[in-house]
Amino acid sequence: MTALALPVRTLARRRARTAAWSALAAVLLVLLTGVALGTGRLSISVWDALRALVGQGDPGNVLVVQQFRAPRVVSALIAGAALAMAGSMLQRLFRNPLASPDTIGVTGGASFGAVLMIATGASQQLIPLAALGGGLLAALLLGGFAWKSRMAVTRLVLVGLAVQQGLAAAVNLMIVRFPAELASSAMQWTTGSLYGRNWTEVWIGGTAIALTAGAVLLCQRRVAVLDLGDDSAGGLGLDPGRDRLLLLLLGITLASLAAALTGPVAFVALAVPHLVRLLAGPPTLGTLGLTALTGAVLLLGADLLVLHVIPVHGLPVGAVTATLGAPWLLALMIRQGRLPVRNS
Amino acid sequence: MTTAPTVDPTANRLAAHGLHLRYGDRTVVDGLDLELPGGAVTAIVGPNACGKSTLLRGLVRLLGPAAGTVTLDGSDIHRMPARALAKRMGLLPQQPVTPEAITVEALVRLGRYPHQRMLSPWSAADQEAVEEALRRTGTAELRDQQVDRLSGGQRQRAWIALALAQDTELLLLDEPTTFLDLRHQLDVLDLVADLHAEAGRTVVMVLHDLGQAARYADHLVVLKDGRLAAAGAPSEVLTAELVEAVFQVPCRVVPDPETGTPLVVPRARARAGAAAG
Repeated sequence: MTALALPVRTLARRRARTAAWSALAAVLLVLLTGVALGTGRLSISVWDALRALVGQGDPGNVLVVQQFRAPRVVSALIAGAALAMAGSMLQRLFRNPLASPDTIGVTGGASFGAVLMIATGASQQLIPLAALGGGLLAALLLGGFAWKSRMAVTRLVLVGLAVQQGLAAAVNLMIVRFPAELASSAMQWTTGSLYGRNWTEVWIGGTAIALTAGAVLLCQRRVAVLDLGDDSAGGLGLDPGRDRLLLLLLGITLASLAAALTGPVAFVALAVPHLVRLLAGPPTLGTLGLTALTGAVLLLGADLLVLHVIPVHGLPVGAVTATLGAPWLLALMIRQGRLPVRNS
Repeated sequence: MTTAPTVDPTANRLAAHGLHLRYGDRTVVDGLDLELPGGAVTAIVGPNACGKSTLLRGLVRLLGPAAGTVTLDGSDIHRMPARALAKRMGLLPQQPVTPEAITVEALVRLGRYPHQRMLSPWSAADQEAVEEALRRTGTAELRDQQVDRLSGGQRQRAWIALALAQDTELLLLDEPTTFLDLRHQLDVLDLVADLHAEAGRTVVMVLHDLGQAARYADHLVVLKDGRLAAAGAPSEVLTAELVEAVFQVPCRVVPDPETGTPLVVPRARARAGAAAG
């Protein structure tokens, strides 16, 4: 710090709050990871479970934790973080607090791709790829229909909604014509669940998500400039249409990768950015880490409920995030006394 | 740090050549040839919907020409890299979007965007430019406040500070006094005058008020229906005939008792009728 810089209280306060909440979220993340890895038919203590994750301690524990439990837990963490970051990015780009993969077509696209694969009876391994492709198809449709208006925000919102509805309808049409068994498997996928993850999927998905998240971090200045409106952004040297499309692609890729890993889990992408806003203030580069941590903690927490608390066998985690997420978001808003509408 | 005014009339010359600007099928600026002096304050005036804001958008490349070119010191701005152009021209749009809960300093820091590379850290030069912008606009003591909680006049000064932090020789302002009361209008215009006089910036602004334009501008551009009605020094351009032709307002033009610049005084209705009859 130079002597020139005066104390910047609001910014410093927000940074301190962000750091404090991030630390808390990180501790929670480690604890929940331990609990998730240790809970099941074979009960392991949190500490032993965490040690087993890195290959230490009882070989039986290591086997259970590394081979059976960890892929699911790590999938939840990665997908939760990716969804939350994507949601935050999309809400900023759309200048709309309702923007999320569920409202702009990513969920519809990913479901469309996956269900199409299920319909053709293709190998299970192709489903994640098809989901990713479907999500990117949604991005393509968005770009195609909004490019002429230079990706104008108002148009994007409407086009996104139409893309989502259209693809969701196509998914429903397919499911309705399925035999019962396929229909149930398709429903399970489109709700978003964490059953049957394996390390291959986790490594591939995790690497792709990490790379995309890195690109998102690198573009944060650009996002901040776009927040000033298209005219100001243009005056500062951006091409608002092109840059919004590029950033939109990044956000949608992130959400599609999460969907490829776990199916389109509802509400994490929508709710986490609002929670972070209440905890630490408006989105900045600094709050992005907190956003990712919070998403990871929430999805893992929801999965713990699914596995060990709610006595329904085979419940998809997406059902829990949606059921608990909706009233929780409402409660948050009532406590805050206002809806989080951005000034524009 | 006060930069001595180095007014070089041959630098920072914006010019339009046969410029046509369109929104969709609607032609707004229709074949405009225009040369704006460097190192001066230019005001663009004209009736509503005459294309003055559209012209400004065309001059800063927010709107591509349907035909014709815009040049800065002779080179086509559409062939310049966006970032290079953003280092030479700063813009205050008519209705910028204030990001939620952003502080004044955070807002002004964004003005440094064209000077930063993707991974470059915040530099001492960046901070110095921000401090200078805050100081010049009198917003240093507001730096910690949220922009969306400021008064209209303070908010406008914060946005001007952003454009100043951009550190460009040319500054374009689109109706910077709209929505402000008289005192804050004058505050903003005095600030612009100081930027020109003390920091040697070339200023181009769209204004509504003819008296203010005549007072604060060295060069006046009068538009009507997307075409140039007149251009030149206010004292030469602003005549009763021109105002009546462009604005359809019968008037007298008298010397401003404060500054001697032309002041447009609309005729009272009864007399105007008599004059017309």
